[in-house]
Amino acid sequence: MALSTRAATKEQTKTRPQTKLAAPWNIIVHDDPVTLMSYVSRVFVLVFGYAQDKAHRLMMEVHKTGRSIVWTGAREHAEVYAQKLQAHHLLTTLEVTDV
Amino acid sequence: MWFMRAAEGYLFGALTPSCIETLRGVPMLIESEDERVRARLLPETYEDHESEAHWRAHAAPELERLFVARTVLVRKDLMAMRQLDFDDSGIVLMIPDSHVNAWLATLNAARLALFVLNEMTAAHFERKGLKICTPKQAEAVARIHFLAGMQEVLLGTVDHGEEEDPQTDAAASE
Repeated sequence: MALSTRAATKEQTKTRPQTKLAAPWNIIVHDDPVTLMSYVSRVFVLVFGYAQDKAHRLMMEVHKTGRSIVWTGAREHAEVYAQKLQAHHLLTTLEVTDV
Repeated sequence: MWFMRAAEGYLFGALTPSCIETLRGVPMLIESEDERVRARLLPETYEDHESEAHWRAHAAPELERLFVARTVLVRKDLMAMRQLDFDDSGIVLMIPDSHVNAWLATLNAARLALFVLNEMTAAHFERKGLKICTPKQAEAVARIHFLAGMQEVLLGTVDHGEEEDPQTDAAASE
């Protein structure tokens, strides 16, 4: 009897781990009036391994709208890619997504 | 200027004194300490100061080292410019296939440096852009276009004329 009373009054605490995924980062390439369009496409193929048509489409987006999100993902990977794009002198920035 | 695809790279010939001067200036443009050049070659990457400071401390020095390594290759090829036996039209530059990537990036950097050093805008490159150019800017536009022409050859966006002139490769390999 005494045992069951203790069991009934025992406070039960449970911990639930709070996990939150890090927000993905966008790599943005900005237009400049000097860099050749064919060169930009080539760099996208070299750095990301994109197919020629995808590289061309992204390059055209940069050219027409002034910027394009060329890749989205984990920050560490985004930094590596951004460094490679800057190594080819593409005007590149990183920004966290709104998610 | 003429160019041809050789067995182990690209040959550029009939380079005028102005072309040679522009090419010899390429490494110096990349190495320029002018803050406008440094700011364009190593642009701000993050909006927030802490991330940007971290980027400056870690990524930027690696990029600088890469630029220097490429410049070494470019300078080596420029030092090797010479008169070919079969050509009487001036100095010839040979860019080996293994140096093409270094040249492409370095030519792009040089064009960007010329652009910022001469305080130019996109308008200077439009059809009527020369009307708003100072003499110095007009000269820079010509140099930027010349270097772009070399980039296009190396990118393969210019017809090498190999099908029209089957003698090209044979001549280049002699």
